[in-house]
Amino acid sequence: MMSESSTLDVRVRKRYPGFELDVAFTASRGITVLFGRSGSGKSLTLRLIAGLERPDTGRIVIAGTPVVDTERRLWVPPYRRPIGVVFQQPGLLPHLSVGDNILFGLRLPRDEARRRLEEVLTLLGLSGMERRSPRTLSGGEQQRVALARALVRRPPLLLLDEPFSALDQNLRRSLREELRRITGDLGLAVVFVTHSLPEAHLLADSLVVVERGRILQMGEAAETFRRPSTPHVARLLGWVNLWPAVAVHRDGPETVVDLGGRRLLVRGGAQPTPPGGRVVVGIRSERVIVHRGEASPAPNQFEARLTELLRYGSTATLRLRPPEGDLLLEVELGARALEVLRVGERDSWIVELPPEDLHLMPAET
Amino acid sequence: MNLFPVDWDVLRVSFLVAGTATVLCVLIGTPLAWAIARTRRVIVHLLTAAALLPLVLPPTAVGYYLLQLLGRQSPVGRFLEAELGLRLVFTWPGMAIAAAVVALPLFVRTAVAGFEQLEPAALEAASVLVGPVRRFFSVALPLAWPSVTAASLLAFARALGEFGATTIVGANIPGRTEMLSGAIYTAVLAGDDALANSLAGLSLVLGLTVLVALSLLLAQVRRNAP
Repeated sequence: MMSESSTLDVRVRKRYPGFELDVAFTASRGITVLFGRSGSGKSLTLRLIAGLERPDTGRIVIAGTPVVDTERRLWVPPYRRPIGVVFQQPGLLPHLSVGDNILFGLRLPRDEARRRLEEVLTLLGLSGMERRSPRTLSGGEQQRVALARALVRRPPLLLLDEPFSALDQNLRRSLREELRRITGDLGLAVVFVTHSLPEAHLLADSLVVVERGRILQMGEAAETFRRPSTPHVARLLGWVNLWPAVAVHRDGPETVVDLGGRRLLVRGGAQPTPPGGRVVVGIRSERVIVHRGEASPAPNQFEARLTELLRYGSTATLRLRPPEGDLLLEVELGARALEVLRVGERDSWIVELPPEDLHLMPAET
Repeated sequence: MNLFPVDWDVLRVSFLVAGTATVLCVLIGTPLAWAIARTRRVIVHLLTAAALLPLVLPPTAVGYYLLQLLGRQSPVGRFLEAELGLRLVFTWPGMAIAAAVVALPLFVRTAVAGFEQLEPAALEAASVLVGPVRRFFSVALPLAWPSVTAASLLAFARALGEFGATTIVGANIPGRTEMLSGAIYTAVLAGDDALANSLAGLSLVLGLTVLVALSLLLAQVRRNAP
């Protein structure tokens, strides 16, 4: 099955002693992030698409052209695939100039090559550097050259394997933004492998969550971050407020759940849970509302005591606990909110969990 | 006393044999070393063993096998002589082959070490851009040239000093297949100490020259390393 619009259609399986990769997904224009911990199989998936590894069975179609089909014994070597690849290490050839690195292996008439070189140099802010030796460039510049080398071929598909993880914070940020701009401008399909949650957040149009060689969940990125299908995926995506509960009552889009005596109203969400069913209810820590004053009868408001305050640069994490029950709540606040609330001055707070930000998932077995 | 009593034919044959052996080592040994450095399959162990075998064999055994292989009694030898008019036994090209076989392990070991030091990221990036032939000529060779050059110098020195294998294949015929090593042997047997002395001294100087060149090359490479 392949939708007409997808640039990449992958369905592969590869077995190693103690590890099996079995994934199927498609990628279209925009950035598809393969997200997972190290050893999850996300890089291996990328290497299979690039042709640096061979699958045991499966089929890979890039821009309508099959490049691997084990049933038909089809295998196209990496350098004949319509792809651009950038790895964690730039992998520039030290004996060639920047310009020759970018044009390496590209068979084009001289004028056309020259034109394309100028184009990618401008695109990546490398103008005037084409005669320099890669050795004289900074890490960020080297990675830009690697990106230019991938883009100069104008591939419909760009494969990026943690390309910015060896760079320092600021550089990583500006390169991520540049990547967003460039892929948007060129209308490229990008598969981006990362284990960094902030990076996935910032870049992903689509998100594919990989673990132990399997895809746990995939879909439109914002939706996947908001609506993880299981508590496990939720934890991988940075959720910490996850509590086992029992569904009590269901009325249209609204479900009431019980957390050890405390009732919470959950609005929306696709999972219809029959009353009496065990569920996990969760909320992202940046969606929790904290304020001073009295608890109103509004749903999902209760009093809680501040047990811990952890500051991380400009943000802070508050750990709060209601007087009764063993519920522990984490709240993330920005610097401004911390100041306005004068968090350090008191330890009794009103916490509000907006019903539309609460999310129901099946209970863990 | 003649200060330089060396027969020019001896020098000519020595350099022809060692030079040709070096060229053979480069032509056969470089792709072999690249294959050994790059391959992950079991076959690599066989290749390595085959390339290193002359290191543990007596050179006379190498010479004997080559004599068997290249002589008139073998199909290979008959074919070479009948079809190509090429006689290898008792000629300097045959000795060059013998010297190449003996020098090959040294060449391959040095070249493999060089290829193994290439940055994997650069090779991987190149494998997405160009095919295996261009990868070898445009990436591996230019980056590993110091090792290949060092390997060639070592192979040349080794070939120049070879005695056992070359003597069996070439028979040490004065004026035709007599190398420095053979001439020393003849001089010692004849009790001509003065000649043996000059010849051995010359070998010493040649060997030292090659090794000093090698050392200079390696120092140069280290200075240029990033």
